Amino acid sequence: MRPPRLPRETDFGSRLRGPEVAARVGLWLGICFLVAFLTGLYSHAHQDQPAWLTLPTRPVWTYRVTQGLHYLSGVACVPLLLVKLFAVYPRLFAWPDRTQWRDLRRMAVHALERGSIALLVAASLFQLATGIANAAQWYPWSFSFRATHYAVAWVAVGALALHVAVKLPLLRDLLRRPLDDDPAAHPTGLSRRGLLVTTYAAAGLVVVSVAGNAVPWLRRVSVFSLHDVPDGGIPINTSARRAGVTAAATDASYALRLVGPGGELRLTRAELTALPQHRETLPIACVEGWSASGEWSGVRLRDLVSLVGAPPGASVRVGSLQQAGPFRESEVRGNVVDDPLTLVALGLDGEALSLDHGFPCRLVAPGRPGVLQTKWLAEIEVLT
Amino acid sequence: MTAARLLIGAAGLVMAGWGVRLLLALDLPDLAGTVLWLAGGVLLHDVLLAPAVALAGALLVRLLPGPERVPVLVGAVVLGTLTLAVLPVLGRFGAKPDDPYLLARPYLVSWLALAGIVVAGCAAAAVVRHRAARRP
Repeated sequence: MRPPRLPRETDFGSRLRGPEVAARVGLWLGICFLVAFLTGLYSHAHQDQPAWLTLPTRPVWTYRVTQGLHYLSGVACVPLLLVKLFAVYPRLFAWPDRTQWRDLRRMAVHALERGSIALLVAASLFQLATGIANAAQWYPWSFSFRATHYAVAWVAVGALALHVAVKLPLLRDLLRRPLDDDPAAHPTGLSRRGLLVTTYAAAGLVVVSVAGNAVPWLRRVSVFSLHDVPDGGIPINTSARRAGVTAAATDASYALRLVGPGGELRLTRAELTALPQHRETLPIACVEGWSASGEWSGVRLRDLVSLVGAPPGASVRVGSLQQAGPFRESEVRGNVVDDPLTLVALGLDGEALSLDHGFPCRLVAPGRPGVLQTKWLAEIEVLT
Repeated sequence: MTAARLLIGAAGLVMAGWGVRLLLALDLPDLAGTVLWLAGGVLLHDVLLAPAVALAGALLVRLLPGPERVPVLVGAVVLGTLTLAVLPVLGRFGAKPDDPYLLARPYLVSWLALAGIVVAGCAAAAVVRHRAARRP
């Protein structure tokens, strides 16, 4: 009996492994990564908006569509990445031969390429695992999800670009050459084309099975949808109880505090209801991939801040009754404040706002991330 | 071509470098956790999942040498990758007691039904292929 040894690249006999499959699956994987990266950047720009950047409020579905795409392109990557790694796994055991060990320059190039691939694989698996767990509201780690998912995204896309730069001539060559060798030589096994079709079908199936919260008409077939609100209602990420605002929100002495260059004003819910009311149909969309549309009614934010003398184009800060939490308050830029669709909502779908949706009143603005549609408003301050 | 490659490569270096810089700006416990998860993913794949798949593939070739192997492989790829992708939903790990609508669907029943459909379809295709191959 031979003594055990480490595997070699040539030990993997399957025709399905190899560059032909890797190049084609890799192409789709790269496209999905790019979509996820760009849509992720868009969301990040909303949440950490630099002073020089103005983000559009129209069309009202920009955030909804980009974040649905973000989630679904990420989910599609799971079968694509697994099959891609399957195709290239033998390369892990491509040990440099003895003559190469002495050639320092070639060894350095080899080590560099290995390093960039290791970084790419690690970052890719990390992004998919953390993204999918986050979408399912599961946090089996202690680090901040948003900061790390954002940082590792740059690592992943950077390592991917390096990988593409190294492999570009090979990729072009592979895509021109036929995918399968003579099928008559392997009459019983799965062809490479067969594996590719299977992989794309698996990616499609995964997308459809989870898309229900992003694509309303898929709700019934989408058996792994996360939220299941009756009548297509709007899901809730943070309840009033979890935010610790129940007592303050139902307090009879509640009044919304407005501060601006024209002075300070306190409005009770009854006084807010007495102001001119508007009804707008706007989506609430979350970076986690779900979105839902609602008919909101309430006072235009622009009308409210005019009461305290806010000039056109002024930004405001809205604060919640919440005592703590990263989304306790948010900044609303001038172009959003001045948009007539931006409401301080008092009602949803013909009824008074429920406690979990932000009673006594909440912000609803077009094209804005769900976490910045601040609930349980306590104060609105005009920034000068 | 060479210019394009250089450009893409340089952009890649800058982007990856920016990502590493962002990572290093995290506080130490966050950074340690992230590195642990980065390395853990690679180890989990390279040491556990990939060898298991290779072993299963080798077994399958030995057990099913004929053309009925193809549908079995197809079914395994579809069901295996789908299951991994929806694992956090299947486990309902993120369910919250005060949100009755979150993770509220019968996911396990759906998965069993889906698995049943895939297995039945693959088995039927395997039988058809097996019979077709034995016909003179």
